[in-house]
Amino acid sequence: MAESTTPAPGSPDQFTPLHSEREIHALTRPSLSYWQDAWVRLKSNTRALISLYLVLGLLAFTVIGPMIWTVDPSAQDVDQVSRPPGADRAARVVEPYKPWDGSVAVVDGERLQLADTPTNQAVRLIWPAAPGAESYWIYRNILPVDENSAKGLPLIELFGNGTTHFEDRLDLAPRIYYYTLVALDGTGVPVHRETLAVDVKRVVTVEEAVGRGLADSAEDLLVSDVVHLALHPLGTDYLGRDMLARLMHGARVSLFIGIFAPLLYVLVGVIYGSAAGFVGGQTDQAMMRFADFVVALPFLLFMILFKIAFGIGPGESGVMPMLVAMVVLLWPSTSRLVRGQILQIREEGYISASRLLGARAGYLILRHMIPNTMGVILVTVTFAIPSAIFTEAFLSFIGMGVAPPTPSWGSMCNDGIKTMLTTPHELIFPALLISITVLAFNLLGDGMRDALDARMRSTE
Amino acid sequence: MSQPLLKVEDLRVEFDTYGGIVQAVRGVSFDVYAGKTLAIVGESGCGKSVTVQSMMGLIPMPPGRIVSGTALMHDVDIIGRKEIDGRDIRGREIGMIFQDPMTSLNPTMSIGDQIAEPLLVHSGYSKKQAFARAVELLDMTRIPEAEKRARQYPFEFSGGMLQRAMIAMAIACEPKMLIADEPTTALDVTIQAQILDLLNDLRRETGMAIILITHDLGVVARMADEVLVMYAGQVVERGSVDDVFYRSSHPYTLGLRAAMPVNDRSAEHTLTPIDGSPPDLFHPPKGCGYCARCPNAMKICEDSDPEVYAMSETHTSRCWQHHPSATVRVAGLHYREVEA
Amino acid sequence: MLRYTLKRLFQGLITVWFIATATFFAMHNVPGDPLANDKAATEEIRANLEAKYGLDKPLVQQYLIYMGNILRGDFGISFTQKNRRVNDIIAEHFPISAILGILAVVFAGLGGVLWGALTALYRNRLPDIIIMFLVILGISVPSFVVAAISQLALVNLNDAVNFSLLPVAGWGTVWHMLVPSLVLGLGTMAYLTRLMRSSMLEIVNSDYIRTAKAKGLPPTRIFANHQMRNAILPVVTVLGPSIAAITTGGFVVELVFAIPGLGRYFVQAVQQLDYTVIMGTTVFYGAFLVFMVIVVDLLYGWIDPRVRLE
Repeated sequence: MAESTTPAPGSPDQFTPLHSEREIHALTRPSLSYWQDAWVRLKSNTRALISLYLVLGLLAFTVIGPMIWTVDPSAQDVDQVSRPPGADRAARVVEPYKPWDGSVAVVDGERLQLADTPTNQAVRLIWPAAPGAESYWIYRNILPVDENSAKGLPLIELFGNGTTHFEDRLDLAPRIYYYTLVALDGTGVPVHRETLAVDVKRVVTVEEAVGRGLADSAEDLLVSDVVHLALHPLGTDYLGRDMLARLMHGARVSLFIGIFAPLLYVLVGVIYGSAAGFVGGQTDQAMMRFADFVVALPFLLFMILFKIAFGIGPGESGVMPMLVAMVVLLWPSTSRLVRGQILQIREEGYISASRLLGARAGYLILRHMIPNTMGVILVTVTFAIPSAIFTEAFLSFIGMGVAPPTPSWGSMCNDGIKTMLTTPHELIFPALLISITVLAFNLLGDGMRDALDARMRSTE
Repeated sequence: MSQPLLKVEDLRVEFDTYGGIVQAVRGVSFDVYAGKTLAIVGESGCGKSVTVQSMMGLIPMPPGRIVSGTALMHDVDIIGRKEIDGRDIRGREIGMIFQDPMTSLNPTMSIGDQIAEPLLVHSGYSKKQAFARAVELLDMTRIPEAEKRARQYPFEFSGGMLQRAMIAMAIACEPKMLIADEPTTALDVTIQAQILDLLNDLRRETGMAIILITHDLGVVARMADEVLVMYAGQVVERGSVDDVFYRSSHPYTLGLRAAMPVNDRSAEHTLTPIDGSPPDLFHPPKGCGYCARCPNAMKICEDSDPEVYAMSETHTSRCWQHHPSATVRVAGLHYREVEA
Repeated sequence: MLRYTLKRLFQGLITVWFIATATFFAMHNVPGDPLANDKAATEEIRANLEAKYGLDKPLVQQYLIYMGNILRGDFGISFTQKNRRVNDIIAEHFPISAILGILAVVFAGLGGVLWGALTALYRNRLPDIIIMFLVILGISVPSFVVAAISQLALVNLNDAVNFSLLPVAGWGTVWHMLVPSLVLGLGTMAYLTRLMRSSMLEIVNSDYIRTAKAKGLPPTRIFANHQMRNAILPVVTVLGPSIAAITTGGFVVELVFAIPGLGRYFVQAVQQLDYTVIMGTTVFYGAFLVFMVIVVDLLYGWIDPRVRLE
C-alpha cells in the first residue's frame, strides 16, 4: 500500500541496485594546514591586508628610505627654518650687500614706503617727516596689526625729526612683515601712525650661493639669475632640519623600539612561562608569584626611573636603556598567557599519547607545545608593537625618551607642539606617522587574531 | 486519537552563510499530543534542534529564515507570534530546556531569581511570591535544601542540579508543553537517568507534552511515546516507539540500530557504524539524502526524492524500497521480528 | 572576601615597598653626585640635605633613614625650590590631578559602556560603523596629539565666535576641566568601547541569553538584567590598568593644557633632575596606583559572585 504524494515513477529499471556502479561520495574538502588556513583567512580580510601592506610600506620607508633620500637629518639649512612643505624655494642672485645712506630714486607721495625691493638682505623704509614729530618708533610684526596698536617692542627708536628712513637687516625671512611707524611728539604722545605690509623676497649673493652648494661655480651665476634652495619635500623643523630625513631616521628609532622590544620581551615571557607551565608545582607557583609582582609595578613610572638611573652619556641615543627597561618590565603578561596555554595543552590527549610513545620533555615542548601556542604568541606580539610605539612616543614626548639630536617620532612631536600654532606641519607629520603605524599594527593584530586563534576570534 | 496539542506542517528553514544557503530543515511535519512524549532523533546537524528552535523563534534571523510551514497550537499558528489569547507562548505555553546547563544559566544571577523571572513576567507574581514559588519548584525538582540553594549562583551547582534548576524554570508557569533539547547529553550517565525520570514524573503529574530531542536511542526507548527519525533536514521515519524500534522500515533507522549497543548477551551483536557522512545541505541531493550511505540504494534513489509510505496507521517511512516495483526491497533490510 | 582583601592589601604593601626601594637605588645609581648638581648650589640647602638624608653615611644606613622617612610619610625637601617640602608639593598639586583623573575615568567608563552597548545594538549599521571608526582613531592617535589638536580646535573655535567659550589652558573652573579630562579619558574610552562591544556581542550569542528568550522575557529585561550586567564584567577587570594609564597619561595632558597638577610637576622635576621630588612623587604615585588596582579588584569581586564567594 503506497500512499503516494507524487505519481509513481515509471520504468522498473529505475529500481535496479546502485551497488556496482556507485562510488561513495567523497565529502572531503582539500585539507589545509593551520598556517595555510590562517593565511587564507588573513588574505580574505581586506582591512588586515591593507594594514599588512601599510606595515611593509613603513618598513621600506625606514630601511630603504634613507638610502634614497640621503639628506643628513641633523644638518641645518639656515636659509629655510620652519618652512612648510611646498614653500617657494626660488632665490634671486643679487650683488653683495652695500650700505645705504637713505637716498632714494623715487618718492611716491606722502606715505611710509619702500625705498628699494625688500629682500632678506635688507628692508629699506622711508617716510615723509611728520609735522610736530620729535621721534619715530618702528615696529615689526608677523601678524596683521590694526591701526591703533602695534605689538611688542619697537625695532628702533629714532630721535629727532631729521631721520626719515630706516633699514631693517634683523634676521629677515622671506615672508610678509607688517611695519608700523609711530611718530611721537615731544611729550611722547603719538601724532601719526602708519602700517605697511612688506613682502620680503629671498635673495642670495653669488658668494653665498656657491658656498652653500646651490651653484657649481661663480662663473655660471649672473646677478638676477634665479637659483633654487635645497629641496625639503616635507619642509623643515625649527632648526632648519629636513623633516623627511628626520621622519625616516625617527622611524628607525620608533620602529626599532616598537618591534624589537615586543619581540624580546615576548621571547623572555615565552621562555619563562613555558618553563613555569611545564615544570609545574611549587616552582610554577613561585615563578608566577614573582611575575604577579612585576605586573603590579606601575610601568611608565619605572620606565622613567630606569631612564634616570641609567643616565645617558654624551653621544648616546638612549634607545638601549629604553629597550632594556621595556623587556625587564613587560615580560610577565606574556609569560602568564603562555603558562596558561601550556598548562591547558599539557592535559590534552595527544601529549599523553606522545609521552606514551617515549617523547622527552624537549621534544614535547618543541614539537607540540610551542607550535600550539604560536598563534597566541604571534597575536600578542602584533598587539604589543603599537603599545611599544606609544610608550616610546610618550616618553620621548615628555623628554624622557631618546636624547637629542637623535630624532624619534615622539621627540619630533614634542618639538612640533611648541610651534603648533604657526607651523603645524612640524607636529602633524610625526603625529600622523605614529597614528598610521599604530593603526596599521592594531588592524593587522585584529586580522591575525581572527586568522590564528579560533577562540579569540572576534564576533563581527 | 484526540486533537493534537501542536500540529506542525511542512516546516522549512534556511540559513544564509558565507558558503551559500543551508537548507537545514526541509519540510518537517509532526503532531504532539498532550501528556505524551515525542522524541526527535537523529545525528548532529540533521536539523532536529533547528526544527524546534525555529518554531520558538530562537534562531537568529537573519541569517536564519523560515521559508514555509505552520505550527498550530489551539488552532493558532505560533510561528512568528509571541502570544495566544494574551498568553505568551515562550515561557508560558511552552517551556524549554537546553543541552548544556553549565552555560545556559546566567552566571551572575542567583538560581532563585532566575526561576522567579518567568513568574514575574508572565504570571504577575510579586517578587516575594515569585521567589517563594521558585523555592517550591526547586523542591519539586528534588533539589535538597531548596531554600538555601535558591540563593546560590550557578557556579555553586553541579551539572545535574543545574539541569534540575533549568527544568524548574521551564515549568514555572505550568506550560502545556516542554521542549527538552538534548537535556542529558552533557551529563553523567547516572545523572541522566535521574533527569529523565524527573521529566517523566513531571509529565505524568502535570499532563504536559514533551518534545525530547536526542541522538541517543537509549533515551528514546526509555522516554518516548512517538518517535521522529530525522536525516538531512527531513523526517525519514515516524511512528510509535515500538514501530520504530521493532518494525524499523527505513535503512537509516536500521543503520542507527546496528550502531547501538544492545543489552542482550545471547545475541551476537557487533557494532556496525554507518559509513560516510551526511550530505552537504548547501546543495541537498535531488534524490534521497541517505542514498550515498544506503547499502540498498537503487538508481531511483539518486534521482528522485522518495515518497512517504505508510506502514500502518501510525507508522510512515520515506524510502523507495517500499515502492511496489522495488527489486531489492525487503531482502536487504534485516527485519528482526516482522519479516519471514 | 575578608581574607582576600587582606591578602591583596598585603601584596600591595610589598609592591609599594619594592617601588620605594627600587626608587632609592635608581636614584643612587644616577651618574655623578646629585649634590654636586648646581641646582642645589647653596651651602645652606646642601647642609640641610646632608643632614636630612645622611649622605655621608654608608648606603645601608641611608636606605634605612630613607625608609624611615617614608614610613613617617615624610618625602623630604625639594632640590630646586628652597625649603619647599615634597609633601607640600604633593598636597598642593595632587588634588588637581586627582580631579582631572577621576573625571577622565568617569568619562572613559561611562562612555565606554554606553558606546559599546550602542554599537552592539546597532551592529554593522551606521551608528556602529561611525563609532567604531572613531574608536579606532581614538586607539591609534597618541594622547598628546589629541591634546594638541583639541587645544588648537579650541583656539580656532574661540576665535571664530570671537568669545572665549571654553578656556584653552589653565585650571580653576569647571570649564577648565571639561576638555582636558575628555582628552585624557578618550584613549581609554575607545579601548573600553571596543571591549564592551565584543563582550556584548559574545553574550548575545550565549546560551543563557537563549534561555532568557525561551523564558519569554521582554527584550528590555534581557538587555538590562542578563546582557549588560555580564558584559560589564570584562570592562571592570581592565579598569585598574586603565586608571594607571589615565594617571600617567595625565602627565602629558597637564603639560599641554598648562594644568598645575602633580603630573606636570613630576615631568618638570624629572627634566630638572629634582631628585627628592622625583623620589617622593614616584613612591606616592606608585602607592596610589597599587591601591587603585586593589580597589578595582575588590569592586570586581563585589560585582561577580564567582569571585566574591570563592
